Amino acid sequence: MLLAILLCKLGRAVGKLVGKGSSLPGKLALKVCPDILRRVKLPPHIIAVTGSNGKTSTVEMIAAILRADGKQVVYNAEGSNQIEGVATMVLTHASLGGRVRADVLLIESDERYAAHTFRFFHPTLFVITNLYRDQLTRNGHPEWVYDSILPSLHPETVLLLNADDPLSSCFARGRQNVKWFGLDRCSVSSDAPSGVYHDGAFCPVCRAPMEYDYAHYNQIGAFRCTNPECGHQKHSTDYTVTAVDLENRLVTIGHDTEVKLAFGSIYNIYNILSAYAACRECGVGSQTAAGVLSNYLLKNGRMQTFRLGQRHGTLLTSKHENSIAYDTNIRYIAASGKDCVVLLIVDAVSRKYFTSETSWLWDIDFDRLQVPHVKKIILSGRYCCDLAERFSFTALENWEVQPDIAAAAESLKNGGEDVFVLTCFSDRDKILCHVEKEG
Amino acid sequence: MDVHMLHFYPDLMNLYGSYANISVLKRCLEVLGCTVTVSTVKPGEDVHLQNADFLYMGAGTERSAAYAAGDMQRYREELSAAANDGTVMLFAGTAMELLGQSVTDAGGHTFPGAGLAGFTSVQDKKRRVGDVYGHTDLYPEAVVGFMNKCAVIKNVETPLLAKLDMGWGNEAQNSPEGFHWKNVFASELTGPLLVKNPKLLETVAAAVYARRGLPLPVDHPSGGWSEKAYTVTEEQLRLRVQRR
Repeated sequence: MLLAILLCKLGRAVGKLVGKGSSLPGKLALKVCPDILRRVKLPPHIIAVTGSNGKTSTVEMIAAILRADGKQVVYNAEGSNQIEGVATMVLTHASLGGRVRADVLLIESDERYAAHTFRFFHPTLFVITNLYRDQLTRNGHPEWVYDSILPSLHPETVLLLNADDPLSSCFARGRQNVKWFGLDRCSVSSDAPSGVYHDGAFCPVCRAPMEYDYAHYNQIGAFRCTNPECGHQKHSTDYTVTAVDLENRLVTIGHDTEVKLAFGSIYNIYNILSAYAACRECGVGSQTAAGVLSNYLLKNGRMQTFRLGQRHGTLLTSKHENSIAYDTNIRYIAASGKDCVVLLIVDAVSRKYFTSETSWLWDIDFDRLQVPHVKKIILSGRYCCDLAERFSFTALENWEVQPDIAAAAESLKNGGEDVFVLTCFSDRDKILCHVEKEG
Repeated sequence: MDVHMLHFYPDLMNLYGSYANISVLKRCLEVLGCTVTVSTVKPGEDVHLQNADFLYMGAGTERSAAYAAGDMQRYREELSAAANDGTVMLFAGTAMELLGQSVTDAGGHTFPGAGLAGFTSVQDKKRRVGDVYGHTDLYPEAVVGFMNKCAVIKNVETPLLAKLDMGWGNEAQNSPEGFHWKNVFASELTGPLLVKNPKLLETVAAAVYARRGLPLPVDHPSGGWSEKAYTVTEEQLRLRVQRR
């Protein structure tokens, strides 16, 4: 064990010097001592967070709250969320005797590799934010991801689940140690799910039709299977957003805990609620948690502001291959209310692997951009014609195609409305190099 | 010409933007002057297939597909009769597996398919994913797409794609892919394969016309954006094949 810890610490120090990633030291340590993660003495609280969307934001907020509460937190801020990255994080913070010097070990876990990551230890609290269509090129489909996560759930682990998500709610089946978070019917609720596809149409347990008392986005809401012998439905919640005032960017958790929103989107509200619930489960007081979450600005760089000629611009980083990430940002633009131009870029579908797969464009609800203040939409990048074909099936008419990203940026320099750029990590630098960043 | 389409299980079997296949075919036929009606079929509903010009089912999860297969049993004989009669059909993604004799899931449980073809599908816990570049005997242009499946389909005697230069086919990497017999088209290629392949869309549209004893209008409009998108994807994938 000592050799593995030493190797890992040395590897991490060298890696930091040469700017290399954080997985390799852990990989080396696991070679020397494959069950090192069983041997070390871990902190009393081990929180894992997984799910399709919101992992990184939720983990960042949990860490901020726990630290504000005086707890020492170790977490994989660099996003190395498979077993090698987790080993690096744990061993770097361990004494040579193998004791991890922290009160809380916080892990953002890749949903497909959770079973592998938690072979040698298990979380005390496992937060599962949601499960829906995400990177089908890697993940297959949401039920496939469900089947991948299921074996990683130790019987002693307390699950913190999204009561509004029909699929991830199924993790509670046959378990007692489950805590739930969710939203009551509130100002952002609709009567039925919306979107291009309807993954909440059928019960994930028995395939009978489902009904909704209310919905918040896509299949997320107060679902209810119509088969009386099944009974799968939204569970009552332990942590509840009871009111949302988007105009004043204020949410109420429980009876009277108020949180000011820095970013007024329904998705952010779910992330805030899950972070709040996780910290409350670790003994943090409600006011401490709400205090940190109020006006909390995420540091993950997914939203950036800039100037492009006379225009004020906002980059909303979405994830290609994740329709809900796009829907999130499209809803944000639609709700912004200020005259704007939207630039959509699909140039490299992924930064990690090659693919020409664009079926995910057909799952995005672009029609939500049909609002008076969106004056023009420019489609750009290598796959702009795939985008154009998709747009030709919407009711939108105010779009044009400019394959060259630099030319699209140049054309935007004239004009005064705000500009929103919607694209992925893989493509955002291709526009950011043409703008003046702010802040 | 009035064209009547049946879209089976649009919510249950609609992964990967599968719905776009029926959207693009409907629009294509309307541009050619047809009046197109699309009726959706939910599980448990009874419909008659004999009056339909086109039957469609898209991709679903393995559990959804198993449920759909159970419901499809009611149409078993009618489906075979319609296929024999030349009705045009497209079964995309996991829906293709349901056309065969049987599907065995990853747990070893076997359930019957619609029995339209002699093949069998065996699912396992391995996901077969990746871009596909292949060729069909129906036209000279390459077929492009993406595979995302967990099944091996054996004994397909008449594949849709006779040759793959890249990607997963019915039985293995680079093996033939899909199924084509009379006017029945099936492929496990992900999602909107008729959008990604304008020539395949034209072929299916021509089959709808041919069943009525009519040729596809000669001066039909080109695919517009989808043609340009195809050119980009075809080039990208061809270069990838050449680099290998």
